[in-house]
Amino acid sequence: MSLPALSADQCLKCNICTAACPVAAVTDLFPGPKAVGPQAQRFRHPRLPLPDHSVAWCSGCGTCTRVCPHGVAVAEINIQAKARLVDERRAPLRDHLISRTDLLGSLATPLAPLANFALRLAPVRWAMEATLGISRHAPMPAFVGRTFRRRVQDRCMDRPPDPNRRTGQLVAFFHGCGTNYYEPELGEVAIAILELLGCQVIVPPQVCCGLPLQSNGLFGAARSHARANIASLLPFAREGIPIVGTSTSCTLSLKHDYRAILGLSGDEVDTVAENAFDFFEFLTTHLREPLERLALAPVQARALYHAPCQLKAHGIGAPALQVLRRVPQLELAFSESECCGVAGTYGMKREKYEVARRVGESLFRQVNMVKADFVISDSETCRWWIAGHTKLPVRHPAQVLGRALGLA
Amino acid sequence: MDDLVIVGSGLTGLFAASLAARRGARVTVISQGRGGLELSHGCIDILGDTPLSQGMHHLPAAHPYSLVGRETLEAALDALKQIAAADGLEYQGNTESVLRLPTALGSLHATTLAPRSMASGDAARAEPCSLAGLESFRDFHASLAAIRLQARGIPLGPCLELPLLHAPRRRDAYATDLARLFDDERLRAELARAWKPRLKGVLRLGLPAVLGLEHPQQAWLDLEERLGVPLFEIPTLPPSIPGLRLERVLRKSALAAGCSLLEGAQAIGRVDGSTKGRRVSGVVALSAGGPRVYGARAVLLASGGFLHGGLVARQDGLVRESVFDLPVHSELGRDVWVAETPFEPQPYSMLGLRVDAQMRPLDVRGEPVFENLYAAGGILAGPDRSREGSRQGIDLATAYRAVEMALA
Repeated sequence: MSLPALSADQCLKCNICTAACPVAAVTDLFPGPKAVGPQAQRFRHPRLPLPDHSVAWCSGCGTCTRVCPHGVAVAEINIQAKARLVDERRAPLRDHLISRTDLLGSLATPLAPLANFALRLAPVRWAMEATLGISRHAPMPAFVGRTFRRRVQDRCMDRPPDPNRRTGQLVAFFHGCGTNYYEPELGEVAIAILELLGCQVIVPPQVCCGLPLQSNGLFGAARSHARANIASLLPFAREGIPIVGTSTSCTLSLKHDYRAILGLSGDEVDTVAENAFDFFEFLTTHLREPLERLALAPVQARALYHAPCQLKAHGIGAPALQVLRRVPQLELAFSESECCGVAGTYGMKREKYEVARRVGESLFRQVNMVKADFVISDSETCRWWIAGHTKLPVRHPAQVLGRALGLA
Repeated sequence: MDDLVIVGSGLTGLFAASLAARRGARVTVISQGRGGLELSHGCIDILGDTPLSQGMHHLPAAHPYSLVGRETLEAALDALKQIAAADGLEYQGNTESVLRLPTALGSLHATTLAPRSMASGDAARAEPCSLAGLESFRDFHASLAAIRLQARGIPLGPCLELPLLHAPRRRDAYATDLARLFDDERLRAELARAWKPRLKGVLRLGLPAVLGLEHPQQAWLDLEERLGVPLFEIPTLPPSIPGLRLERVLRKSALAAGCSLLEGAQAIGRVDGSTKGRRVSGVVALSAGGPRVYGARAVLLASGGFLHGGLVARQDGLVRESVFDLPVHSELGRDVWVAETPFEPQPYSMLGLRVDAQMRPLDVRGEPVFENLYAAGGILAGPDRSREGSRQGIDLATAYRAVEMALA
């Protein structure tokens, strides 16, 4: 029995998770995290078929674990149960496809203009929906012709420099697939900010964090991605070089999911986890003084900040807010929604799209109501999803800080 | 460095956070999950069915009310009313009168402050009332409440069962499901048309407390106007909507005032190494990646009693406070912690931290353990709050005093 499953015994049935669950709030197809988690877990025999399939509606946002006052790993139980469902029923081709973001990226990058053009054509999206089950309504990001790694290969090393060539605090940057294939400018501004604060940035070799595979229940493939990343990041972690990422879901995988969901254990995975940091977590804990000395130019705008679920699951609050609040003339509103709905690849699926959209509706409404000029959110899939539904630009907080520093 | 780190996000923690942040302090709240407000009736009990001026004199010197004084208690209540009203949630009542509100099991709950939508259920009102259940909602049975209320001599009209359009059909409806339905204005109009013909001759109607979550009072007032009948709400099983509304109001107010809210992070100890004699320098909390340090000029423990994790009982009968390992004075042996039946006063519920008039926990000699460590709410030693009917009053009054002292 896995560790999360054991925590089911701590459940008092208080329903705090059910009240917070963004999916149960919009559909009665999902009985709620308590019902499919600690409750249903008692009926999941290790060797018998699963008696109930409603856990498939869980989006994996992790809200339930975060709000549980008794330490029940509700989301982890449910993601593991979803993986068992996949083992029993086999995942559709679509799930194998959309969960291999690095494969898709490397195939599409050389053909970026063509791929982007095709993805904008209604008939193509109709065909993708009919044949694969990828919702034709789901917003899709555009590929770039030149990956982030390519763009920074001359600027940043991919291994620790010799001790006599170190010029400041070393940082290993984990860019993830979002930055590499879709938003290289985010990675560039993050590096520029780190350099401005006196860091020397290294971009280690890395593969997709494996989260899309994990959320689609493909644990075997997710674990091999995890092992590859641990092997490549371990030399940095062992030296105490912080591994910093702008993608909150990638850094959450390194910190938590490899251990708590994929079940990897041992000194190596712990060392990587303990040295992984969200970008703003790192800034506000390790670079506090130089950060406070920075002169920030005004950003005259009204913005709504939405903390992604995958950031909230870090258990560090929303550290970007400490910095955003200091930007002169930036008027901030705060999202009142638990989740934007997309939950990685969940909202892309034909059968899930409508549920995901309804989860996000209150956020989209609030964005409209506060008359935001743009939205700020730390996670890429949230950004694409919110942008697609509100037609507003959605920025990573590092991009906003970059603007206040004249870097972007 | 924060001015104040608060451990716990129940009524005590969130109220303290909102107060302190509104006074301009830098505040961080650390909580393992969401607090007990979602399990509470949403009212503020002060001293059961005793008006404060009659009861206050008879309290022992160590009672939290005696420690903080009546003025602080009144100021705390005013502050709460103000914070809630600013977000459209009005509380009614005062410390010299007692409201007696019908419960879902047909008893009368004596309380001091209640949301407007509940206060109008006061048994002292002249107009007789009817109770109505909602079709397919299993958490509230009008006839069960009515039989017991009538046995107490409360005159009641016939019970009703009102139809619910668009309620969840594929699973049981939670109170949160229904509350979200009532947030929808069109649906309220539709329901009002269906209900109105059934309410002929009804002078006052009690309904389960599900009338709106996002803009609670608005939904209740609007429905009342459409039906032309005064309505009042009766809280149901968790998730409790009136408790949830108060929690949301407090969280929003704290966040808007600049407070950092860290959910899903467990406070595990004080920051060592830099402690200067009798002062604490912050709190260490567990995040997904490992322990993180939150430095603070003062720390407030609002972590609750045994059920909430603020107090821990060991096998050998020793009771300790869970974050700072503070001593909990107990002359009681483990064998007498629990009374013979669940309905008697429970000796264990009186265990907790002893504090001075500034709300600082005391050591065995009666000296503050740390100069800048404060405690408030359910973690304090004192009366059996359930029996005395003083739980929320103690939470608010001690939180108010602790914030005043911590920021002084």
